[in-house]
Amino acid sequence: MIQAIAFYLFAGVMIASAVMVVSARNPVHSVLFLILAFFNAAALFVLLGAEFLAMILVVVYVGAVAVLFLFVVMMLDINFALLREGFMRYLPVGGAVGLVLLAELVFVGMAWIDAAGSAQLRAAPMHGGVDNTRALGRLIYTHYALVFQASGLVLLVAMIGAIVLTLRQRPGVKRQDIGRQLSRTRDTGVEIVKIKPRTGV
Amino acid sequence: MKTLALLAVFLPLAGFALAGLPIVAGRKGHGVDRWAQLATSICVGVAALASMSLFWSVGLGHQPTSFELFTWIDSGAFEASWAIKLDALSVVMLCVVTIVSTCVHVYSIGYMSHDPAIPRFMAYLSLFTFFMLMLVTADNFVQMFFGWEGVGLASYLLIGFWYDRESANAASIKAFVVNRVGDFGFALGIFGVFMMFGSVHFDTVFAAAPDHVGDQISFLWFEGHALTILCLLLFVGAMGKSAQLGLHTWLPDAMEGPTPVSALIHAATMVTAGVFMVARLSPMFELAPAALHSVCIVGALTAIFAASVGLVQNDIKRVIAYSTCSQLGYMFFAAGVSAYSAAIFHLMTHAFFKALLFLGSGSVIHALEGEQDMRRMGGLGPKIRITYWMMMIGSLALAGIGIPFVFGLAGFYSKDIILESAFAAHSGPGAFAFWLGIAAAGMTAFYSWRLLFMTFSGHARGDHHAHEHAHESPAVMLVPLYVLAVGAVFAGVLGYEYFVGHHREAFWGAAIKVLPEHDSVEHAHHVPVWVKVLPLVVSVAGIGMSYGLYIRNPAKPAELAARFAGLYRFLLNKWWFDELYDRIFVRPSFALGMGFWKKGDAAVIDGLGADGLAANTLVAARRMSALQTGYVYHYAFAMLIGVVAFATWYFVSR
Amino acid sequence: MNAPAFSFSAALPELFLSLSGLALLLFGALTGEKSYRRVAALALIALLVAAVLVLFGAGARSVEFGGLFVVDGFGAFMKALVLLGAALGIVLSLDYNRREELERFEFPVLIVFATVGMMLMISASDLISLYLGLELQSLALYVMAAFRRDSVKSTEAGLKYFVLGALSSGMLLYGASLIYGFTGSTNFAAIAGAVSGVVKSGAPVPLGVLFGVVFVLAALAFKVSAAPFHMWTPDVYEGAPTPVTAFFAVAPKVAATALLVRVLIEPFGAIAPQWQQVVWLVAVLSMIVGAFAAIWQTNVKRLMAYSSIGHVGYALVGLVAGGPGGVSAIALYMAIYLFMNIAAFSVILGMRVQGRAVERIGDLAGLSRTHPLVAAALAVAMFAMAGIPPLAGFFSKFYIFDAAVRGGHYVLAVVGVLTSVFGAFYYLRIVKLMYFDEATETLDRPFPASLGAVLAGATLFTFFFFLAPGPLVRAANAAAASLFPG
Repeated sequence: MIQAIAFYLFAGVMIASAVMVVSARNPVHSVLFLILAFFNAAALFVLLGAEFLAMILVVVYVGAVAVLFLFVVMMLDINFALLREGFMRYLPVGGAVGLVLLAELVFVGMAWIDAAGSAQLRAAPMHGGVDNTRALGRLIYTHYALVFQASGLVLLVAMIGAIVLTLRQRPGVKRQDIGRQLSRTRDTGVEIVKIKPRTGV
Repeated sequence: MKTLALLAVFLPLAGFALAGLPIVAGRKGHGVDRWAQLATSICVGVAALASMSLFWSVGLGHQPTSFELFTWIDSGAFEASWAIKLDALSVVMLCVVTIVSTCVHVYSIGYMSHDPAIPRFMAYLSLFTFFMLMLVTADNFVQMFFGWEGVGLASYLLIGFWYDRESANAASIKAFVVNRVGDFGFALGIFGVFMMFGSVHFDTVFAAAPDHVGDQISFLWFEGHALTILCLLLFVGAMGKSAQLGLHTWLPDAMEGPTPVSALIHAATMVTAGVFMVARLSPMFELAPAALHSVCIVGALTAIFAASVGLVQNDIKRVIAYSTCSQLGYMFFAAGVSAYSAAIFHLMTHAFFKALLFLGSGSVIHALEGEQDMRRMGGLGPKIRITYWMMMIGSLALAGIGIPFVFGLAGFYSKDIILESAFAAHSGPGAFAFWLGIAAAGMTAFYSWRLLFMTFSGHARGDHHAHEHAHESPAVMLVPLYVLAVGAVFAGVLGYEYFVGHHREAFWGAAIKVLPEHDSVEHAHHVPVWVKVLPLVVSVAGIGMSYGLYIRNPAKPAELAARFAGLYRFLLNKWWFDELYDRIFVRPSFALGMGFWKKGDAAVIDGLGADGLAANTLVAARRMSALQTGYVYHYAFAMLIGVVAFATWYFVSR
Repeated sequence: MNAPAFSFSAALPELFLSLSGLALLLFGALTGEKSYRRVAALALIALLVAAVLVLFGAGARSVEFGGLFVVDGFGAFMKALVLLGAALGIVLSLDYNRREELERFEFPVLIVFATVGMMLMISASDLISLYLGLELQSLALYVMAAFRRDSVKSTEAGLKYFVLGALSSGMLLYGASLIYGFTGSTNFAAIAGAVSGVVKSGAPVPLGVLFGVVFVLAALAFKVSAAPFHMWTPDVYEGAPTPVTAFFAVAPKVAATALLVRVLIEPFGAIAPQWQQVVWLVAVLSMIVGAFAAIWQTNVKRLMAYSSIGHVGYALVGLVAGGPGGVSAIALYMAIYLFMNIAAFSVILGMRVQGRAVERIGDLAGLSRTHPLVAAALAVAMFAMAGIPPLAGFFSKFYIFDAAVRGGHYVLAVVGVLTSVFGAFYYLRIVKLMYFDEATETLDRPFPASLGAVLAGATLFTFFFFLAPGPLVRAANAAAASLFPG
């Protein structure tokens, strides 16, 4: 009973804040509503017994991603009102398509059929005394090692991409090069010039 | 052996590529010309050496073999590969083709030296050689057809080599179209073979042929003996390529091409492909006696027809062209009486002396700066002595002169064995062919000597200036003549025993199949003496008559022509074949074509179909490009609509 | 819970290539900006070595890494094509990048990582490995599309591709979760078992599964740029640097097609009649868009984009035809498509007027007079793409339509032939331009040697394929057979 109430509470707040993300006039408010939505999603994960995912969501999405969004939004000063100009124009068609899809998905959800035996496949057996985080760790590093490595590569490529697209070597910027600094000797740094008197340099 | 065969067949292709590359790259100049000449000649020359070596090991060493290069088509039951089949028949052809081709390549260096498109010419020659070699080494019908069409293409390109001449273009188109008629028959024949035997592989078909002797098939509206119909269809192809009566009209016109081309393609090699095909398919033809009779009769008629037309022609190359046509008739009627070996023997000797005659006449034309009309020649003997002697050797070989039982020139052996075989066949068509052949032999001797006398004896009748400056050809043109002359003199006596004499069974092996009751070549060795001597007598008589008419009494020919004006015009106009065809086929098809074009195509199809459709297409295309707005959200929206549409489809259709 | 025994040798090519990518990255980072040429050469070698490893490792079908990764003949065939395409992509980029000052070592490194992603896609036998392979590939491609970061067009292309790609990834994940909800597993074999169980029991196929398939299909159709999910293609092809476009048109296309084939046939083979309806529509739309929308294009890269959309349509016809015959036709089609496209792009990359790259179709006018060999090669490529015998493109189309007719899909075959005719219009227009029109500005001479060599190779293949179609057809047949065990 309490679980059900909690579920509907979190779910309701989440959907409401998701709507606000899209419809809020102030972009900073949008991001803040996004953070609220993340928190509610984390709470739903807790309800499902997936405490690890809940924590990850809070740490990564709220702590890093959403805050980053906030900075970007505040720094770039984009006129979101202008971006939303066509919103009303496309709303009828877009809304109709969305409604059709929604109706169909609702129908599909109501008439959901599982394949025979899928319940056994789906039910993750919880070993006694093994908590969620530990179980995930075991799976990721054993059974799913291949895709774990692959996701590492994905992140690496993302990093390369960010560097490729943004890093610039600007001429004229003075940088510190420790290697060069240390390898300097007296000979390369000092030039002794003998100047005869009264001739100037 | 495999390496040798690959060298022999593919070196000419390499030569073609080497000579063709600069053209494609757009290079010109003396260096390119020289490069093309050297590259092609050396490639073909080495191929000739390889062929002779193959002749030694396969032909004389009796080691027929065949190997597959790789699969070409493999579609269901239909299978064809690129393969090289080496047996006595194909190595003989390999030698003939490559040797004559080498001579012609070398000759062309001199003959075409002032032409602006030397690399193109040399490349075409090599390409032709390659296709011809593919044809003769084929081990299945499809590869043979590939070579067959390839030589047709090369012939078309070479006849129309001087494409700025209208007559050359017309001749090349004529050759192509007439050949297409024959090829249609050939293709139908191949389809029929595949339908009946389920294979296009020679060995498979030949092995299965005896089991199908009794088969009947219905073709068009009548039913008939299956093998006979197939053989006749295939023979139609041979008739087209070898210019047999009915489909011969392209060959004389093909003389519009440069003379080396006439020598190589329209005398020595391509036109003999039909004969080669009949010999190659002997296991099928042997089982279809009715088809053989047709071959025999068509061959005999061609021999006499072409010889009679040759009597009165005035263009030096056309005389030789009709002579070629006539000699091809000999080969066919030899094949028609099952004397395939004699036909191939004549094919081989004929290649030498006819190429010699053509190249010799080319040398004459070269000397007179392009003059081809014999009425404007005369008295050239002392001026171009070597050419004169070469032409003399060629004519003697063509006329089949020799001393019985001692020695003779090439034609003496090969033509006589054909006539003897025809006689020895003791059949109606055989006798028919024999007597027509004897008559044609007389005519052959007559027109050969007429050609010699009109060109080289008497006094100059043509342009005085040109005659004054007549000069002997350079060595690069004379050496090929010597080589061919050696062949024209000795090919007969050297080849006789192997091709048609005592060693013939060992030599041919399985390449040619003759039923025991058809073995006319064997019987030919036991004919009465008068049969053996008669051709020679007739030939000598022909020479004598020619001497009487053109040396002793030069006014006589014109007088005769006037007295028998009807006959003369009949012969001069080639039995009115061209006019007949023009009236029956060409003009009605033109009229039909014009009608279709103006009314059917322009009005109906273009109006409603192509042009209307094209306009609508452009409109549709413009609308479709207009969808591409460049806005990401439009694109995203399109994707979503797509997903929703598909999902809805399942939602509704279930 | 015991760790499953991993057979690393099964993924040897992938492991080798990933490690090579890491090593190249280090090498490039340590030696600095000047190292582009060396990194490119090493990447080329790595790709070729990986191709050799793929071909030598090709053998019986085996599922490795706890059901995440499958090795079979189909995968080997497609991976070999992808590796070849990637290697040629690097070769083609050399000259262009030098002239356009795009010589940064990250370029070949990104190609290597994208290729790893493609190989992972091809070998995926689980929705999770499928998704990760796809993302690895896509992320590298997004970056590559925007590689010329100072050009507005290029960055726009990258951004568009990224946003729409993210949308398609979302669809993929949504579809995958629907499928997981139905079967309780992400593993292809388990999904196949569940799906065929339902079909065998005679019950109607649950709508949830079909929805899942539609979403997955839409996402993959986006990746192969099939209509109506193709809209990004012309913009991205036009905006991306030309070597990147060349790479896009070849390797990812082959990989995504392979993935689409595997996903539809392995887990969902039992409901083929259902998904074939959608694929039918996608194929028809793609063929039509490819044939018609290209006609008004003036930019040669946009033209190639529409051409690729059309080609994907033809390949999908093979999927509708189904069975080993259809799949073998697809494999053959992609192989020949690769060569034709490489030939076309090696000409496009060489199009320069007075040192600057041009990409209008009109710039090809009069090419036959200034560059006769190049014009002839491009003409061969165009004739081949139009499907004119006896060039290779004719055979690829022939096998596709043959499979369609055998499967009884006459409408599809007729649409295919008709759109080929309309499509021939714009291919032949290029030939006409090159041979019959006068040039206003002639393209520079000489044509770069590296492009010329690739062009010559690809053209010779396209031209002489008809002499010996046997080996490739047999390989394609064997590849297709491995998708249909038993």
